[in-house]
Amino acid sequence: MKTFIVHFLIAFLGSYVYFKYGDPLLPYNAVWAVMVSVFIMFLLWLTSPFYHRSYFHKLPRALSFVMFFLKELVVANLRVAYDILTPNYHMKPAVVAIPLSVTTDLEITLLANIITLTPGSLMIDISADRKFLYMHTLYVKDDDLELVKQHVKNGFERRLIQLTR
Amino acid sequence: MSLFSFTLIFAMAALSLCLVMTGIRFAIGPTLPDRITAFDLFVANIIGIVAIYTELTGNQDFIDVAIILSLFGFLGSISFAYYLMKSAR
Amino acid sequence: MLEDINFLLIREIISSVLIIVGVMFMLISTIGLLRFPDFYIRMSAITKGATLGLGFILSGMGIYFNEPDMLLKVMLIIGFTFLTSPVAAHVIGRTAVRNKIPFWQPTNLEEFKEYLRKEHSTHRDHQRDNKHL
Repeated sequence: MKTFIVHFLIAFLGSYVYFKYGDPLLPYNAVWAVMVSVFIMFLLWLTSPFYHRSYFHKLPRALSFVMFFLKELVVANLRVAYDILTPNYHMKPAVVAIPLSVTTDLEITLLANIITLTPGSLMIDISADRKFLYMHTLYVKDDDLELVKQHVKNGFERRLIQLTR
Repeated sequence: MSLFSFTLIFAMAALSLCLVMTGIRFAIGPTLPDRITAFDLFVANIIGIVAIYTELTGNQDFIDVAIILSLFGFLGSISFAYYLMKSAR
Repeated sequence: MLEDINFLLIREIISSVLIIVGVMFMLISTIGLLRFPDFYIRMSAITKGATLGLGFILSGMGIYFNEPDMLLKVMLIIGFTFLTSPVAAHVIGRTAVRNKIPFWQPTNLEEFKEYLRKEHSTHRDHQRDNKHL
């Protein structure tokens, strides 16, 4: 995590300085800027096995996690938009208590932020002994609360645990 | 008037409509947290309007207003919610 | 070959499309804010739609201006909005639960009853606040 932030800052500032003060061979636009910073990050990623071995395996997983999250974000947004624009409500709201398997502060914060950022689900609170996470969700199929829990646990939490441990 | 500036003016008109509708929710909102939500959406709408105005005039100084506004909108809603939470008995 | 392409026109088209998509998301969110029946549903459905719309509008502006400074500022605003919006939603939602804002009638509250009972009892407030200090 720390290595990723350092690499990201180096790549971002590197491409910024290259286009602002350097003598760029390429014409400036957003596509080239993103590609240059991705290239710098790729070079840094290739050097990472020498000092941080697990980072070398984790970055592809992080990329797939980000893609999965963006897909969920757009799908959930479209579902809520469909519900807003049609006259009847299709939703069945419920408050579910999700049993947590993540333990540290950082993991819980990340999980809660990701859950809240997805439309149609809002994290309300965490229980005092950190065992459960209370989530307000909009779409429950046939009153089956287990399905919602499995969706969160298999989707977000499993990938998050793979990423941080 | 080119098609591009027409698009921008249309987008600004739509965002103004958003502001009016958020204002209705702000006025009739049955409870206080409803009004805080409406305030959050106010700030988001105004950031969007500032961004489109920056693009319409081509003056790059206006984008700093959006940065400051995104900071202060968050502070405002958080402090108001915190005050409400402390005063709940 | 490369000089024949009108880059300004391409940038204007991409920027217009992004801005229209963002404004559509914002408009839908605002209609939802007026239509939905309950505070929690409004909260969970609305704020995120507005955040996504804002992201689209700002990235459209960044692509139109096509300068390093502008892109940096736009990335700053988008990152800050995506970081702070869930925090604000979470704090407002917890405030609403503590202030006994009622849920919509069909809401399934079975697993939440225990928490609500603890939350609304009288002494709990002081205890928990002082434990964190």
